[in-house]
Amino acid sequence: MAAKDSPLKQFEIDPISNIELGGYNISFTNSSFAMLITVLVITLFLTLTVNTRSIIPTRMQLISELMYNFIAQLLSDTVGDNGKKYFPFVFSLFMFVLIGNMVGMIPYQFTFTSHIIVTFALASVVFIGVTILGFINHGIKFFTFFYIPGVPFYMHPLLIPIEVISYLSRPISLSVRLFANMLAGHTLLKVFAGFVVSMPFFTGVFPLAFIVALTGLEILIAFLQAYVFAILTCLYINDAYHLH
Amino acid sequence: MPQLNPEFFVSQLFWLAVFFSFLFIFLWRVSLPRISTVLEKRQNKIDENLATAKELQEQAQKIELSINEKINKAKQETDNLIKISSEKLQENILNELNLLDKELDEKIIISEKEINNNKENQMKNINSEIANITKMTLEKIANIKISTEDLNNAIETTKGNLN
Repeated sequence: MAAKDSPLKQFEIDPISNIELGGYNISFTNSSFAMLITVLVITLFLTLTVNTRSIIPTRMQLISELMYNFIAQLLSDTVGDNGKKYFPFVFSLFMFVLIGNMVGMIPYQFTFTSHIIVTFALASVVFIGVTILGFINHGIKFFTFFYIPGVPFYMHPLLIPIEVISYLSRPISLSVRLFANMLAGHTLLKVFAGFVVSMPFFTGVFPLAFIVALTGLEILIAFLQAYVFAILTCLYINDAYHLH
Repeated sequence: MPQLNPEFFVSQLFWLAVFFSFLFIFLWRVSLPRISTVLEKRQNKIDENLATAKELQEQAQKIELSINEKINKAKQETDNLIKISSEKLQENILNELNLLDKELDEKIIISEKEINNNKENQMKNINSEIANITKMTLEKIANIKISTEDLNNAIETTKGNLN
């Protein structure tokens, strides 16, 4: 298959304007553009729909309130009262991933969440933040997080390394989950789109129908992954408060 | 795989940091406070209305209670009034009847007396009347003049025979 037809071609980064700062290439790329669109959509939507601040909401205001309540509920269910402080962060994370995924569903738009470096950065922020939070809350006692009570003592040499590894792999699992889902979904769409073009006569209708169905599934996954990202962040914050 | 090409890693990280920080600060400082203000305002309004409704309901219950009390009181009062007035009426009727009986008895006694008096008077006068009639009759028919004394004597005698 020629390089220009590769299903992975859609993930290539094209610089829009070349910028260099201190020897580093910080070009404004299609990925940056997608982030810009995402941020604009979120900020404008959440600002304009709640502009009137009416007690009886308009339909658009209701959407903003629903999102607000959705994350607020999620946070209070998993973390409790301690979680209120982290609401802006979790909400921003959820909206950023959700709208980033949704922007990626627009044909010819770039999906920045399909790049491991982006998702890994987001997951690292969560991981580092939660670890710092754990040390602030528990000090050196935070290390007891890796000690599982109620287990026979001879199991500890085995279990503690496992716990440490599973803790350290959190940012990897968090980022790879989102990245892989986006990558797989978009690649699959592109592969079937290739079938539509290459199949003879009108038989291309079948892969096209599949693409339509798959697009619906992808939209569901876009939401689901944002939700998973947010809920895991909440659970990690909860772990930083309650060790076991 | 373009994802593993480190050429644009720094660029992506840089713009991610810029845009995500902007988004986070904007939402934290501008958008979310707005939404939470609206939600709070609505919750306050709902709470207020609920409190007012509860208060009004309590008031209504109090009013209903007092109305019921008043109605019961009024019923009792009317019952009492009816009882008292009927007793009074009965008493009055009895008194009136007694008075009437007494009056009637008195009137009967007086009437009887009058009748007796009249009778006696009539009986007293009857002799002289008889004498007058007799005298007039004798004078008119027989042309006999007779003295009143003789006549009276004659009548007495006859009376004695009649009795």
